[in-house]
Amino acid sequence: MVNVIDNSGAAVAECVKVLKMKRHARIGDRIIVVVQKQRNFGPESGGAVSVSAANKVRRGDIRHAVVVRTAKKYQRKDGSVVKFDDNACVLINKGGEPIGSRMGSVVGRELRDKRWSKILSLAPMHL
Amino acid sequence: MATPSRSLRPLGPLKQALRRCRAERQQQRRHASTEALYPSLQPRYPPPSPGFRPSQAIKQNRFEEGMRKIPVIPPPRSTIKACRDPIQAVTQSQLTVLDPNGARTRLFAPSNPDRAQPGDILHVRLRNGEPFSGVCLSIRQRHQPIDTAILLRNQLTRIGVEMWFKVYSPNVEAIEVVQRKEKRARRANLYYMRQSRHDVGSVEGVVRGWLRQKSGGNVRVKGRDANSSKKKNNKRGRN
Repeated sequence: MVNVIDNSGAAVAECVKVLKMKRHARIGDRIIVVVQKQRNFGPESGGAVSVSAANKVRRGDIRHAVVVRTAKKYQRKDGSVVKFDDNACVLINKGGEPIGSRMGSVVGRELRDKRWSKILSLAPMHL
Repeated sequence: MATPSRSLRPLGPLKQALRRCRAERQQQRRHASTEALYPSLQPRYPPPSPGFRPSQAIKQNRFEEGMRKIPVIPPPRSTIKACRDPIQAVTQSQLTVLDPNGARTRLFAPSNPDRAQPGDILHVRLRNGEPFSGVCLSIRQRHQPIDTAILLRNQLTRIGVEMWFKVYSPNVEAIEVVQRKEKRARRANLYYMRQSRHDVGSVEGVVRGWLRQKSGGNVRVKGRDANSSKKKNNKRGRN
């Protein structure tokens, strides 16, 4: 289970496949996820109609995503190690463009090495 | 062999000749049986001389003649005189390069009463990259002082982030103590602070206040990591 941190409408997704890899995914790797839980924007943001309009994805959708945070420690080239409290991803379409237009929280800096600069520019903070 | 003079016993010399012949053959057979048929029974070495005494032979300590001589290699020269403690020497040479003025060593030396300890809020400035600050959960020294690393924990955008930094890394520009824990932590590793009920949360506010205070202060800010232990004195002097 990975958290989805963009505003595509998904809150929690489950990874079903790591692409181009025969092992676990790291930050910047492309995965296929199934959306498990939708994000509800609270009562003040509108009724059920607006929720469905805001959500670009639904529960049960199979989507591509990019891992942006891992709870597993990752050692960088300079010897420092970074570890987040959760696993998180950002949904993308088949072409690699992020589905959401905004992102909620910090992402790993390894995205830059893997050419996900668009996600980096959307993120409020990268580490 | 047969002599014509003994005509009375014509077969006499023949008998003698036969006897000799038999004796010779017997002698020959004895030789043949011991030599050719059973070579293993043959003595390897010539029999001892008549005046041979075994006790004296042992005293002489003779080697067997067929044995190869084993070469004796002298032990290598001891390196103790060249370098008494090579690991210590290597560590020193690394420290002179990575920590020329010894400030970083002093900041984490156990002998220093004002050293950085688990529970303190530390601020790490990097040469390339943004600075990181957080609560120090653990100080790890694995085999050599050069391996010393610190584990900092913070919350960025309400997500817990932990980072290990090598203290002597050339990428680390400075390590500064922002705030000390009021009471000394009773554990060496404060991993319990990962649990939500013990988590201190974001320390960004504390660090920002400290940075503001520092920038408003005097010029001695730059070499702060060297004498961060005198932080309180500095503050007092400034005000």
